[in-house]
Amino acid sequence: MKTDTLTRPITHRGTTAGHRQPAKVAITLRLDADRARQLQAIADAENRSLTNYVETALLRELALREEAERVITMYVAPDTSPSIRPEDVIRADGETDEDYAARQALAVELWSIPDNA
Amino acid sequence: MVPGAFVRVLFPTREKPRQPGLLHIGYMLVVTATEAMVAYTTSQPWPAAVPLPAGARVFSSEEALRLNQSRAFLLRLDVLARLPLTPIWFPDLNRGAPYLNRGANEVIAVAPAPLQAELAKFAINLARRRREVVQMRGP
Repeated sequence: MKTDTLTRPITHRGTTAGHRQPAKVAITLRLDADRARQLQAIADAENRSLTNYVETALLRELALREEAERVITMYVAPDTSPSIRPEDVIRADGETDEDYAARQALAVELWSIPDNA
Repeated sequence: MVPGAFVRVLFPTREKPRQPGLLHIGYMLVVTATEAMVAYTTSQPWPAAVPLPAGARVFSSEEALRLNQSRAFLLRLDVLARLPLTPIWFPDLNRGAPYLNRGANEVIAVAPAPLQAELAKFAINLARRRREVVQMRGP
């Protein structure tokens, strides 16, 4: 187990009136030694601090999470079913078997998306 | 209510996501006996400097007219609501509305089959994209 450089004291940068940097919060991150060495090696190779590398990786993770949520925004009203059976999907007039099957599969997938609005 | 229909719906808002919201026209992507998956539409012009969202389909004023709508609009297949089929959410449900002309009381227009197929494919691709992003992100 190793406590990494995220535990270092925070350096407060100077700010100018009207443009104050948001305060950063220090956290303690515990990693097993092998993983910490691996991360440190990557950070060294990229000529950055381990803290900066970890922060960047977390920001990337957050961006992906936000992107996933942005792809489809789902509002779910109270008292709706958590899932749907394909046979419950009403067929459209003139819809081919193939199109209907695709829309049934789509319905099942859409019903699995949680409320993220 | 039939799949492929454009209907009036009190689409929920970001501020009150679990309550009936503002009156919009919605597109019925999936319908069951008791619920519907509705896509949001708006006739508000999209800001020129902002790229269109991946799930947006633009309907010109000519296309809108063919769907009994007076203005060009944007259909957002990336903004969906799962709603019960009740008058609380669909104010025209079970009652005639004077602007309707298809004999189906609650419906403004029904998309022709090719348009329905196009929109379903669009939604399927969007769902696939979402799945890929979620898988890339991990559980």
